[in-house]
Order: sequence, then structure tokens, then C-alpha cells
Amino acid sequence: MLKRSKVKSYTKKFPRFENESLSLYYAPRMPKAMIKETEEAVALARKFNDEVARPLSLELDRKTHEDPDYLPVELVKKANEWGFYTMWIPKLFGGKGFNLPSISYFLEEVGSVCVGIANVIGVHYLGMAACMMLSNTRIIKRVMNDVVEGEKTGEPCLISYCITEPTAGTDVEEVDLEAKGRLGCHARKVPGGYILNGSKIFISNGHFSTWNVVYAYTDLKKGADTKVALMVKRGMKGFSLGTHENKMGQRVCPASVLNFEDCFVPDELVAMDPDIIKSYTKKTPRNVNMQHIDYVFSISRAGVGAFGVGVARGAFETAMKYANETEIDGKPMVTYEWVQCRLAEMYANVRLGRLAYTEANLANQHRGAYNILQMKPIYYYLKYLPVSYFKKVIAPLLDKPIATWILSKWYIDWQKPDDQHLTTGLASLAKFSCTDLGVRNCQMALELMGKAGLRHDSGAEKIIRDAKLLQIYEGTNQLNRINLFKSIVAPACPKATFFEE
Amino acid sequence: MLTALNNDLKPFEDLITKFSREELKPHVEVHDRYPFGDLDVDVIEAGFNKIYDLGFLGIMLPEKYTGIGQGISTLCMMLGHVAEVDASYSLIIFTSALSQEIILSAQADSIAERIYPKAKDAKEYLVAFPSFTDPGQSKTLPEASPSGKGYTLTGKLDYLVLGSFSKWAVIPARISSNRGYSFFLVNLNDRGVTKSEPIFSLGLHACPIIDISLNNVSARIIGEEGEGERYFETASKIMHAAAASINAGIIRGSLREAMDYTKEREQGGRPVINWSEVRMILANMAIKAKVAELCVTQTCRAIEENLKDWGMISIATALHVHDLACEVVTDGVQLLGGNGYMKDYGQEKRYRDARQVQALLGLAPLKKLVLIKEIVG
Repeated sequence: MLKRSKVKSYTKKFPRFENESLSLYYAPRMPKAMIKETEEAVALARKFNDEVARPLSLELDRKTHEDPDYLPVELVKKANEWGFYTMWIPKLFGGKGFNLPSISYFLEEVGSVCVGIANVIGVHYLGMAACMMLSNTRIIKRVMNDVVEGEKTGEPCLISYCITEPTAGTDVEEVDLEAKGRLGCHARKVPGGYILNGSKIFISNGHFSTWNVVYAYTDLKKGADTKVALMVKRGMKGFSLGTHENKMGQRVCPASVLNFEDCFVPDELVAMDPDIIKSYTKKTPRNVNMQHIDYVFSISRAGVGAFGVGVARGAFETAMKYANETEIDGKPMVTYEWVQCRLAEMYANVRLGRLAYTEANLANQHRGAYNILQMKPIYYYLKYLPVSYFKKVIAPLLDKPIATWILSKWYIDWQKPDDQHLTTGLASLAKFSCTDLGVRNCQMALELMGKAGLRHDSGAEKIIRDAKLLQIYEGTNQLNRINLFKSIVAPACPKATFFEE
Repeated sequence: MLTALNNDLKPFEDLITKFSREELKPHVEVHDRYPFGDLDVDVIEAGFNKIYDLGFLGIMLPEKYTGIGQGISTLCMMLGHVAEVDASYSLIIFTSALSQEIILSAQADSIAERIYPKAKDAKEYLVAFPSFTDPGQSKTLPEASPSGKGYTLTGKLDYLVLGSFSKWAVIPARISSNRGYSFFLVNLNDRGVTKSEPIFSLGLHACPIIDISLNNVSARIIGEEGEGERYFETASKIMHAAAASINAGIIRGSLREAMDYTKEREQGGRPVINWSEVRMILANMAIKAKVAELCVTQTCRAIEENLKDWGMISIATALHVHDLACEVVTDGVQLLGGNGYMKDYGQEKRYRDARQVQALLGLAPLKKLVLIKEIVG
């Protein structure tokens, strides 16, 4: 047999075995309490589905068709009452501190009933992720405090991530495209802050959110190198909400237009700009920009993967229910082999998708954004110390520049390029695979159900409308394929270039 | 439909293209809001009367019944062009043709005479039919009982296309003494007919669909007792090609809008269409569009030349073109990115409509089993 050194040498060769088999390496390292926590999140989602999502899903969808201007504010309030907007805020910042990978399982559960409702909850955490990955602890503390307060007062405080522009969608998710794209959101440096002008579109939850993480550019021709990240609060002068889009599906979650007209954003709400980056690292602003995008999307794309598995499950469960209740030629539909094979394939798609987003989560846990929180000592320290301790001892430190400096160094300089590539690549893999499987299951469900699946009250037709958006947002599935290739496959293709064909 | 292979179709093609462009296109978004929105039912009915006045509702109906006596090629060409703009109207024309084919298959002259020559408007000419149902697959159909010279029907029928609009409907029902089912002509204004609110469906919104309940409703039998399955089989064989032509039209519309958009929209500083993966997706859509057109055209030719096995060819074409359509419309949305998902563009409607069309004439997997049964024997 081989000596240990030889084993190591072979397994480290490309493709590195550890990178290809994260479950094998990292599942045993997971703090055991995470499993119970995840079970609790799943149980809570199932209870919410029974009591809120299932009874409301079709009714709210129908309402949005009857009145396209209707915004289901009461749904957001319900989610707030259930504590969903603080569940995954770390205790350090006043939240309930559930482990972050558990949100995927939660979103899958809610998404299996209504992915639009899951998005109303999940996209808030996209905003949170964007805010946190900017690493300004003072800003994070302030925004998260507002969210926690919003839960106490019953007035939900949500966060939106605002990057898409009328003439730039995919371009803002990849620095090589951002450098050449037709950008329109301009930030001009003035004493004491920035003046923001331009529009953002397709902003999920825009009409519900209090805080917005907004990307803008000091030079629209050099977007990749001049990006600034600003925190814009509802009510600030010069910021207004436009319409919300008339979408095919996921209609309970508004896709909003945000307009900025000479909106002054003070320095205290500037989370990132090229000067701030220079004060923490020798990396170029463009590289840090890409790293930030990768951090955020590595988290959110795993979440969209969970949405994809949610719709795959929703379609599977709807089709199975129909097959159980229907007869063909006097025999239950489920007795036919062709039906059994299709239901088996749909179930397999659900399980395969879950494996994909689980791998993406493991990458985030051990090689990406969650790393710091998932180290066993830190995990247990955060889990078992009382909130009052964090409030009294830790919270005051978060306002100090040193806290921001440590977190920025940690996220910007600590992560190795190999880790960045692995996390972003696997998140892309999960995103496009799970959402493609989701749409595939919806199609299979409709074929199995025929006219019964076409009726709104069957639920099946809504799922296929909802599902399609998953292949588009958080980067189109084409961009995600390219990102996977660029991040993980490309080392085997040294001649490959990107976005230069 | 490749009209280049059949010059006789050209005048009809010009007419339908002009109609679709001028009469349908400006109203697609408003019509798609039905059954919600401010759309006046009169507006929808005016649209139906327009296609009635132009003769689109009797394309294959013999001239003796006031139809225009054309073949399946003409019907498919028209359905495709209309579907390219708004497939809802294709469903209306399709349903009209399907109910006529049932009546013609049954050689029910007296029924045809009673409806078509006497019709004063679309309401009286358009005969409602459960176009998404293969009655043979339905566990529950209304019950028919002999009554005097005719019959009375009692029971429920779901998903009746045009049920809220038309005066007449062709209804499948079972007579207890028969093994199979039969077709009946029912006046939907009869007091015993209870109509549901319009059903909110995945696609083809502008063509109203309802459920109905029948309570001792007078009905006239179409053809012979217990022969419904045979009539449906004959009619549906030919109408599968028509269903395929609707989706072929939707494919064309999807490809056209994707091409137009990707030429205009920029990504990374150049038109989206210049990125090779986008071209690859467009190429795949274009290939499917061509294949769909060819399938429909050749199927029509096979039907009109009474080729051996034309019925199987027709079913196979429909199944294949529907699959192609569902793939193309999904890519069609994708190529427009977020905009493709919004109702300001046509792609999301095609994404819904293509799948609705796929369900015409019964469950797709069962059609496959019927096909292989015919092939194997």
C-alpha cells in the first residue's frame, strides 16, 4: 500500500480530493449542536407552513393578480412576529444566532409551499450578508439593532441588496463585465459623504425594506475599480421608491425600483470605497470588489439553490398528491410503472439538489464567509453565552475602528484564493443545478397532471411560474456556469480566458 | 407552417398576419389580465366577433355549413400566425375547429345545420368544447338519460373552453346502458346549466374556461350512442397537428423576441447577441423552431394526402413540438434576463401559454402510450 506522504501527494493533485469531497472532510468537524439547531429551524418552517404559508400562498398570489399594486405587508408582519428576520443574525449583533447553513433547510421547507414567501424572508438575509461582508462593525451593529428593534415593536425592519440597474444586470455581478458595462448609479465624493444619483431595479423586497445596501460608482466608465457601497435608509432625502414590477411569479415578493436623486449619504453610512479598502489591504479595489461579490453570492446562491430544491419538492409533492388521488382506467395512477418512475425521478432531483447546496454550505462553513462563526470554540461561545453578555461586553467594542479593522483583515486578507474559488464555484454549481432541477420537476408535474395542473387552485401552475425566476436572479444560470468553470474547472484549462471572447 | 411549400396558403397568410399585427398585438397585455383587471367582457366578445366575421372560426367547416372549406394546412398556418402574437386566440379558433370536427366525424348533419347556417354572431357560431380533455380518460362525465325524442344530461363537466361565452357546447356524457361515452349538443343558456366563475389558469388567459354543472338539461345526441370515443379519436388525430401548430407559432414568437432583445441589450460593453453562449442558446432555439415548422408542415401534407399512419404522425408531431416549445419558451425568458420575467415583455406569457397548449387533448404521457399501442398493435 502507499505511504501516507504518497497518499497526501496524490490527493492534493488537481482536482484536489478534499475540494471535491467536502462532506467527507467537513461533516465530522461540524459542532453537534448545529444539527439540533437545524432541526429546530426545519420544525419551525413546517409549523409556519401549516399555519401561515399554506393557507395564504394561493390567496395572496391571486390577490396580486387582481390588483397588481397590492403589497402583502401583512405577510411581512407575520414573518416578523415569528421572529424570522432576526433568527440568523449572530448573537454578537443581537440576533438569535441560528447557524447560518440552517437557513438553507428552512428556506427549502418554506419554498416547498411558496417560494415567493420564502424569498420575502430569505432575501432579507441577502441584505444582511452584503452588509456584514462589508465588515464595518459599527454599521453592522446599527443596522442589525434596527432589525432587532423592529421585531420588538412589530414594525419589520428589512434589508435589501441593491445592485441591478436598468442597463446593467449581469454586469454588476462580475468585475470583468462591470469594467465595461453601461452603469448608471453614480456616487460623487463631497465633504462629509457622497451624493448618490441613479436608479436600481428588480430590488427584491424593496418596498418592504428599511435599509438598503447600494452599490454605486465614482466613475461610471471604471465601475470595477471605483465602486462604493452605501447604506441608504428609507426616508433619507433624495431617495424614493418607484413602481414594483408586474412579474410572472413570486408575486408576493415585490421587485422594486429605487430612485436616488442627489441623495446625500454621510460618511458614517459609507461601508466601503476605494480609500477605505486601501487602509486595510494591499489588494486592489477591483480584487476586493470581486472578493466581496463572491462572499455575498457564495452565501446567497446556496440559498437560491435551496429555493430551487424547495420548488422541486413542491412540484414533486403536488404531483404525488395528484397521482395518489387519481385513477386511470379504473386503477390508481400510482400503480403504473411510468408514474412511479417519474415520481422517483422527481424525488431524486430533490435529493440531488439538496446535496449540491449542502456542499456549497460546507464550503462557506470551512473555507468561506461562515468560517469564523463555525469554528467550534467560537460557535459554542456565541451559542451559550447570554445575550446580555454580548450587549454589555462586546457591543461597545463594535463601535471601535479596531473591530472593523480586524473583521476587514479577516475577510479580505485571510481568505486564500483557492478558498475563494472553491466557495464561489460550488455556490454557482448549487444555484444553477438546483434551480434547473426545480424547473425540470415543475415541467414533469404539469405533464403528469395535464389540465388539472393548469388551474390556479391546483398549485402546480403557480410553482412553475415562481420557479422560472430562480434561473435568472442571483446571476443568470449561464453566468453561474461560467463562474463555476472560471473558479474550479479553469486550472485544468490554462489557455482559458474569461469575458474576452 | 412553411407556406413556401404551399402557395395556395399565401392569401390567407397575408390576411391572418395583418389581423394579428393590427387587431391582436396592441391588446395582448390587457387581454392577458383576464379574468382580472378592468377588461370589459364586451371587448373580448368584440374580438371574437371579429374573428367570426373574418371566417376564422369555420376554416375546415364545409361551405354548405357556411364554413370556408379549407384543409388542415390552412388551419395550422392560421393558428401558428395567431399564436405568434397571442395564443389565446389560437385556442378559440382551435376549440371551434375541434367541436366542428367532432360533429363532422359523427356525420351529424342535422346538428351542423342547426348551428352554423343559423348563427348570427360568434356567440352562436363558436361551440364550446372541453378541449383539454380526452373524455375517455375522464373518470367522471355527466350522465345522459333518454327523454322523449332526446336526452337529458346531469352531472359536472370541468374545464369547458368558451363555456361562459358560447350558446352551444359539445358535451361528452355516459349513457348508463352503454360502455363508452357519447357526445351531445347542449344549449348553455338552458336553465339547468350552472356556470362557475372563469377559471384562473396558467396561460391562454383571453380564452375563457369554466366548470359547469348540468341538472336535467335537454340535449341532442351527436351521431350514435356510445360512439364518442371513435369520434373523438378521428377528430383529435387531425387536431393534434393543429395543437402542434399553435406551439410552433409560440416558438417563432419566442425566437423573434429573443433575437430582437439580444441585439439591443448590452452586456460587458457589447450587444448580448455577440456572446457565444447566447448565440448557442439562440441557435438551439432556431433549430427547434425549424424542426417544429417542418414537422407541422409535413404532418399537414401527410393528412391531406391521406398517407398511411397519418394519425400516428400527427400525435407524434404534437408530442414532439410541445416538448420543443416548452424548452424554447424557457430559454426565451432566459435570454431576456429579468426583463423576460416581467409582463412588459411577451416571453413570460409564452412560457405559460406553451405549457397550457401542451395539455390540449388530454394527458401527454397517455398520448405516448396510445401511440406506442398503435405502433405495436
